[in-house]
Amino acid sequence: MQSADFLALLPLIAVSAASVSVMVLIAFHRGHRSAALLSAAGLAAAFAALWPAARVAPRTVTGLLTVDSTVLFYSGLLIAATFVVAVLSYGYFEKRETRREEFYILLLVALCGALVLVGSRHLVSLFLGLELLSVPLYGMIAYLPEQRRSLEAGLKYLILAAASAAFLLFGAGLIYAQTGTLDLPGLVSLIRAAGPGSLLLPAGLALIIAGFGFKLAVVPFHLWTPDVYQGAPAPVAAFIASVSKGAILALLVRLFAPVLEVASVALIFTIIAIASMTAGNILALLQDNVKRLLAYSSIAHIGYMLVGFLAGGQMAATAVAYYLVAYSITVLGAFGAIAVLANGHGEPESLADYRGLFWRRPALGAVFTFMLLSLAGVPVTAGFFAKYYVLAAGVSATVWLLALVLVLTSAVGAFYYLRVLVALYARPDGRREVREEPPLSRADWVLLGTLAGLLLSLGVFPNLLLAVIRRTAG
Amino acid sequence: MLHLWLIPALPLAGFLINGLAGRRLPKALVNAVGIGSVALSFLWVLKTVLAVEAWDAAHVERYFTWIESGDFRVGFDLAVDRLSTVMLLVVTGVGLLIHIYSAGYMAHEGGYYRFFAYLNLFMFFMLLLVLAANYLLLFVGWEGVGLCSYLLIGFWFLKKSASNAANKAFIVNRIGDFGFLLAMFLMVVTFGSLDFGTVFGAVEGKPPGTLTLIALLLMLGAAGKSAQVPLYVWLPDAMEGPTPVSALIHAATMVTAGVYMVSRSWLLYTHAPGALEVVACVGLFTAVFSATIGLVQTDLKKIFAYSTVSQLGYMFLGLGVGAFSAGIFHLMTHAFFKALLFLGAGSVIHALAGEQDIRNMGGLRKHTPWTFLTLMCAGVAIAGIPPFSGFHSKDAILLAALHHAPWMYWVGVITAAMTAFYVFRALFLTFFGRYRGSAHPHESPAVMLAPLAVLAGLSLAGGYFPVTHWLDPVFHTEEGSHAAWAVWTSVAAGLSGIALAYLFYVARPGLADALASSLRGLYTLIYNKYFVDEMYDTAVVRPVVSGSRGFLWKVVDAGIIDGAVNGIGARARDIGGLLRLLQSGNIRNYAAWVVAGSILMILGIGMWGGAR
Repeated sequence: MQSADFLALLPLIAVSAASVSVMVLIAFHRGHRSAALLSAAGLAAAFAALWPAARVAPRTVTGLLTVDSTVLFYSGLLIAATFVVAVLSYGYFEKRETRREEFYILLLVALCGALVLVGSRHLVSLFLGLELLSVPLYGMIAYLPEQRRSLEAGLKYLILAAASAAFLLFGAGLIYAQTGTLDLPGLVSLIRAAGPGSLLLPAGLALIIAGFGFKLAVVPFHLWTPDVYQGAPAPVAAFIASVSKGAILALLVRLFAPVLEVASVALIFTIIAIASMTAGNILALLQDNVKRLLAYSSIAHIGYMLVGFLAGGQMAATAVAYYLVAYSITVLGAFGAIAVLANGHGEPESLADYRGLFWRRPALGAVFTFMLLSLAGVPVTAGFFAKYYVLAAGVSATVWLLALVLVLTSAVGAFYYLRVLVALYARPDGRREVREEPPLSRADWVLLGTLAGLLLSLGVFPNLLLAVIRRTAG
Repeated sequence: MLHLWLIPALPLAGFLINGLAGRRLPKALVNAVGIGSVALSFLWVLKTVLAVEAWDAAHVERYFTWIESGDFRVGFDLAVDRLSTVMLLVVTGVGLLIHIYSAGYMAHEGGYYRFFAYLNLFMFFMLLLVLAANYLLLFVGWEGVGLCSYLLIGFWFLKKSASNAANKAFIVNRIGDFGFLLAMFLMVVTFGSLDFGTVFGAVEGKPPGTLTLIALLLMLGAAGKSAQVPLYVWLPDAMEGPTPVSALIHAATMVTAGVYMVSRSWLLYTHAPGALEVVACVGLFTAVFSATIGLVQTDLKKIFAYSTVSQLGYMFLGLGVGAFSAGIFHLMTHAFFKALLFLGAGSVIHALAGEQDIRNMGGLRKHTPWTFLTLMCAGVAIAGIPPFSGFHSKDAILLAALHHAPWMYWVGVITAAMTAFYVFRALFLTFFGRYRGSAHPHESPAVMLAPLAVLAGLSLAGGYFPVTHWLDPVFHTEEGSHAAWAVWTSVAAGLSGIALAYLFYVARPGLADALASSLRGLYTLIYNKYFVDEMYDTAVVRPVVSGSRGFLWKVVDAGIIDGAVNGIGARARDIGGLLRLLQSGNIRNYAAWVVAGSILMILGIGMWGGAR
C-alpha cells in the first residue's frame, strides 16, 4: 500500500481509530460524557478526512475497496448520520442507569462496517462490511437489557440476520463456483454480458438479493422491522433506518444498476418495490404505535427509493442520492424527537402519548411536524422534492406502473402521518395523565433545530444539495 | 414591486405568534394578533388593487427559483390579476368579518388562542393559493388549506364524530388531489412548465385529447375540494367543526378554491369543450341533487351545508356553460350570503346553548331580533329575489345556461325554487311559530352581530358590484341570453318556493307532516341522503378496511400489532427460555417468509434468467 492509499482510506481509519480510542479510554476512565465527546470528535475528524481522501480519488485500494466521489459522498452522509445518532444517544442514555460507555464502541464499529460496505468492490469486502455492520447492531438493539422488548428485538434480529448472512455467503459461494471470481465489477459485467445462463449463477444472484433484501427490509424480508424498531432504543432505530439501510442502498445504486439489464432481475426488483410500497403503507395505516408506524413507513420509503433505482440512468442516481439524504434527515429527526421525549422508564410510543404535544412543547412539536410532513411528501419540505425527483426519474424512464403505484400508495401514506399530526395538535385530553417528559438539553435543541432547518432549506432551495450530488454521486 | 408576499405573510406571522406564544398572551392580545393580521392583509390587498395601473396582464413578482432540473423550472412566484383581486377581496374581507365574529363565538371555549392560530394559518394558505403564479405553488396552498380544514374540523377532537368527519374529509380530498397531481404531471410532459403564463400561452395547437384529459383531471381535483358529485360527501360531515369554521372554510373560501382553479385554467377548458360540458353537467347535477337533500334535513347547519354544495354546483354550471365571470360573480355573492347564513346559524346555536335541530327551535324572532333580521336578508339574497345580490349572479348563470342548452336552464330554475323553499323552511321553523325547545334564548353580543350586519348589507347590495364588467377583459365571455321572460320565470320560481315554505311551515303547520307521511318511501330515501354514504361505506370503505385487516394484518404481519410482546420476552427471561425463542411461532414465521421469498427469486431468475 502506498501513502495515497492511506490517504484514500483516511475516513475509515479515523472511525476505526476512534472506536479503539474509546475502548482504551473506558479501560482507564469510565465516563459517559468523555466517551461521547471522544466519539463525536472522531466522527468529526472522519468527516473532515473526506477532503484529503477526495484529492486522491478515484482510487482502488487493494482490490477490495473503491474510493471515488460517489463513495465519498455516501460516506459523508453515513458519518454525519452517525454523528447525529451519537449526540442523540448521549442525551438518551444519560437518563438511564445502564452502563452506557460501550455503546459508542459498537456505534463506531457499525459505522466502519457501513463505510466498508459502501466502498466495497469485492464480495469478500462486501460480506465483511455487512457483518461488521450487523454484529454490533445485535448489541445496540438489545442495549437495554432491563427492557424485555429490547432483548427480544435483539434476539430476533440476530437470528434472522445470521440466517440471511448465511444466504448471502452461500450465494457468493455458488457464484464463485460458476465464475471463479469474486470481484464485483467483473461479476456485474459478466452477468450483463452473458445473462445468468446456467443454474448456479441465478441461484447465487437470488440469494445475494435476498441478503440485501433482508438488510433493506423490503417485502417479503421485512417482517423483523416493526419488532426491531419498536424494541430498539430510539437512537438505534434511527441508525438502522438511516445508516444500515442507506449503506446497502448506496452500494446497490453504485454497483448493481447494470444487473437490472437482466429482465428477470429487473422484474424481481419491480415486484419487491411494488409490494414494499403497498404493504408498508397499508400496514402503517393500522398502527397506533408511532415506532411501529415509522417502521412500516420505512419499508414503503425503501420501496420508493427502489423506484429510482429501477428507473436507471443519470437522473436516477441523483434522485436516489437526494432521497437518501432527505430521508436520513427526516428519520433522524423523527426518531430524535422520540428519543428526547424518552424518560427513565421508556419512550413515548402510542399515539395517545403524543396528544397535544405541540401545545405542551411547541418547538419540539413543530420539529416533529416538519418531519412528518416531509415523510408524507408535502411541499416545502425536502421529502417533497425527494419524492418528486424519484417520480420524475420513474416517469422519464417510462416505468409507468411503478410511478403509478408510487403516487397511489403515497396518497394512502399521507393519511397515517396526518393521524400522528392530528394527535400532536389535538386538544390535550384532560382525562389522561400526561407522561413525564424530561427537559431537553442544549445539544438536543441545536441538533433537532439544525435537522428541521436543513429539511426546510432543502425544501425551499433543493438546488443546494443537488449541486453537491451532481458533482459527486450523480 | 408591490410586495405581494406581504398578503399571505401577515396571517402567517399571526399564526406563529399565536401558535408559539398564544398560551402566555392575554386574550385581548390574542384577538389583536389574530384579527389584526388579517385586517392588515386586507388593507394591503386594497392598496395593491389601487396601486396596479395597467390590468391588461397579470402583475407577476418572481422571488426565487424553487425547482430547476434541465429546462424545467418552477419559481416561487406570486401574481395578481383581475381574477385574483376578486378572490383576494372576498377571502380577506369575508375572512376578516369571520375572525371578528369568532372573537365573540369562541370566547368561552378552551384553546382559544389555538383556534385563532389555525384560522390564521388557513388564511395564509388560502392567500398563497390565490396569489400563486404556477400550479405547483397553487398546489401548496391547496394542500395547506386542506390540512387546516382537517385540523379545524377536528378542533372538537373529543367528539368521535368530529374525528370521523375529519378523516372522511381527508380521504375524499386525497382522491381529488390525486387527479390534480396527475394533471400537473401531464402538464409538465405536454407544456414543459407549470407556469400559468407559459401553459396558457402554449395551449393553442396542442392535441385536444391531452387537453381534455388534463382538464378532466383538474376537474376531479376541483370536485374534491369544492364538494361536487361524487366527492361531495365530506362537506356535510365537516359541519362537526365550530360554526365560524363552517362559515369561513366550508362556505366562503376554501370550497370555492376548485371554482377558482377551474376559472384560472379557463383557456385549457375552452380548448377542451368536452371537459367543459362535463363541468356543466357535474355542476348542474350536484346543484339539483343536493338541493333535494336539503329539503328534508332537520339540522340547521346540515341544511346550509347541502345548500353550499348546491350553490357550488351553480358556480360550476356557470363555468361549464362558458360564463366564467358569472361563476366568479356568484362565488362572491355566495360568500356574502352563505357566510351570513352560517354566522347567523351560529348566533342561533349560541343563543340556544348548542341546539342545532330546527324541530326544537321556533319563535326566536322575538328573542333574537337582530339575528332574525340579518338572516332574512341572507334568505332573500340566496332565493334570488330582485334586487338583492343572489338575483344578479344567479340570473347571469341561468341566462348563460339558457343560451347554452335550454334544458339546463329549466333544471336550474327548479333548483332555484327548491333553494328558496329549503332556506325559508329553515328560517320559518327557526324564527316563527312557538318556541319548542327548553333553553333560554338570548341575543348574541355586539361583536358577533356587527359582522352579521355588514354581511347583511353586502348580501342585499352586493349584486351591484361590477364584477362581471371587471372580469370581462379576462375571459372574453360570450354574451348570455337577454330573454326577459327567463328572468321573470326564475324570480317566480324563487318566490313560489318562499310561498310554499310559508304555507307549509307558518300558515298550515300540519301540512308538511301529512305530505311526508303520504310519501313515506320518497321521504325516507331523501332524508337518508339517498343512502350515498351507506353505499360508499359498503362498496369501498368496508372491503378495504376488512381486506387490510383480515388479509394483510393477519397474514403478512403475522398477527402482531401494537406492541404485543408475544410472550417471548417473558419466557426469554430465564436463559433456558432463550432456546425456546427458536420454536416460537413468530420467528419461524418470519424465517419462513425469508426462505419462501428466496426460493421464489431463485425460481424466477432461473426460469427467465436467460431472457434478456
